[in-house]
Amino acid sequence: MSGAQGRQAYADGEWHRLHPLTPALRSWRILVVVLVIGVQNGADNLLSGDFNTPPDVNGRLLAGGGAIILVVLAVGVVYSVLSWRMSRFRVGPEALELYTGVLFRQHRQARLDRLQAVDVVQPFLARLTGLARLTLEVAGGSGSAVSLSYLTDGQAQSLRNHLLARAAGVRYDTDEAPEAPEQVAVSVGAPRLVLSLALSGPSLALALGTPLLIVVALAIGNVGPLLGIVPTAFGAISLLWQRFAGQFGFLVATSPDGLRLRHGLLEHRTQTVPPGRVQAVRLSQPLLWRIPDWWQVHANVAGYGGSSAEDAPGTESTLLPVGSRAEAIAVLSLVLPDAGVQPGEHPGEVVDAGLSGSTPTAGYVVVPRRARWVDPIAWRRTGFRVTSAALLIRRGRLRRALDVVPHARTQSVGLRQGPLQRRLRLVSFTLHSTPGPVSPEVPHLDAATAARLLAEQVDRARAARASSGPERWMER
Amino acid sequence: MWTPVSPRLATARRILSALPLAVLVAAGAVLAALVGWPALWLIPLAGLALAAWAWVLIGRQVDAWGYAEREDDLLVRHGVLVRQLVVVPYGRMQYVDVQAGPVDRAFGIAQVQLHTASAHTDARIPGLPPEEAARLRDRLASRGEARLAGL
Repeated sequence: MSGAQGRQAYADGEWHRLHPLTPALRSWRILVVVLVIGVQNGADNLLSGDFNTPPDVNGRLLAGGGAIILVVLAVGVVYSVLSWRMSRFRVGPEALELYTGVLFRQHRQARLDRLQAVDVVQPFLARLTGLARLTLEVAGGSGSAVSLSYLTDGQAQSLRNHLLARAAGVRYDTDEAPEAPEQVAVSVGAPRLVLSLALSGPSLALALGTPLLIVVALAIGNVGPLLGIVPTAFGAISLLWQRFAGQFGFLVATSPDGLRLRHGLLEHRTQTVPPGRVQAVRLSQPLLWRIPDWWQVHANVAGYGGSSAEDAPGTESTLLPVGSRAEAIAVLSLVLPDAGVQPGEHPGEVVDAGLSGSTPTAGYVVVPRRARWVDPIAWRRTGFRVTSAALLIRRGRLRRALDVVPHARTQSVGLRQGPLQRRLRLVSFTLHSTPGPVSPEVPHLDAATAARLLAEQVDRARAARASSGPERWMER
Repeated sequence: MWTPVSPRLATARRILSALPLAVLVAAGAVLAALVGWPALWLIPLAGLALAAWAWVLIGRQVDAWGYAEREDDLLVRHGVLVRQLVVVPYGRMQYVDVQAGPVDRAFGIAQVQLHTASAHTDARIPGLPPEEAARLRDRLASRGEARLAGL
């Protein structure tokens, strides 16, 4: 089962095993974990200054530790092989099915018409051996994805093309699903990525905090403060490294299958998000990025899920880690091709006003002046604009952001009024989207404006849903 | 337009809040009577004042709960200090929960909660009579089916 023959064989409606190298790759992870624990313990012993133990005791300890590592490793390998033997998957016309589990059996079925995104991920080791993991996201909350690890890279890609073609409602006569042609829209160069990370919060904290602590340490003649910062600094550096490695070589491309993102230094990830699967988009600009006018783009995609916190969105939800204003707008227009602005109006101007404007220009409705009592910094920027396709919410003065939610993707809407807001006749308007980094809200609107927005937004969302295209996006 | 929730919800919540306060009042009174310091009588008095405040607050909170079934969506409002209103289109409903804890069952009330694909949708209606909860659940489910949309 290899080569071209194996590739097509997967979509035949029969049960298949995962790649035979899977257990090797999985037990490698166990070996790493065991080694790390062993090294940590050893280092702890060394650090605690336990040099006085007689050599024979040390030798026995080593032998015992080695035996334990071997046993753990053997159990791990046996388990991986068993779990590989027990796993099998089937690609049916309507669904992808996966059987897994040695002790606790699991049968998971992902309906292709509910498909939200397909990722082909190559962790570092899998990349060396030419394997890849195929992950099919469906909108069932966290842990609802079906993950096939591992297939060969070619198999994973051809299976992805097949699944996407099926989900799109495309029929093909050839043996293999045609790969949708890609067109690169934006690519992020390494220098810009490094510079953007240097201008981000963690590196700023490092750059300011370290000299400060050195001064303090010199002043009091004690290295205590410096030692105290080591874990924090380590955390900041590892965060920066994670972002750099995750977003290295970021490519945003379009294809009939939808938006395609490729990135990763060690672990390489290819994401495909079909049209209409992006629930909400946020263009945002950390304070220092204002100097080069760079922006980042994040999105809510059902299935990528809520694991990502607001401040550190997961790599999956990132549509563009850093880009010029024009590039960010280009990515937005890929996700939302029709901005739905009024005739005679330029969509770019509307988005521009949303990104950096702070007056009621370009049709933005702003919050009343009395909102400065509850939001003294950002009240001038806070505002929304309604087009026939989406709701645009601009917020933030220090960290500017523009949230865009297509009307057809609105889940539910709400109003909220605290005691202070009640005195000022202000109401916050919230739009509920699927879990993800974007949580659209217009705080402190005039009460009457908010009530009108709520009523109109409900109607617009209903109309947009009724007229939105089919789930199978090529069957229009 | 707004349907209120059952006043039994207020009774249930009042009793639940009164139990610990009753213990406080009783313990304070016993302590004050035994020790004989007049200042100690402030403890049971404070307990009584808290109970009275909770009584009024719970009444207002329960009065603030309300829901309205419209043609295409369900409206739920609640909150006294922080007022909230949520509009859930029937077509966006993923599932409906009906819950009733032991205390709820003793008082003959249940909670209906609507879930959409968003985790932020806070659309729960506590304090419904069980038959009304069942009716609402079935009605929501059938309306949701008729207007079902993808994500």
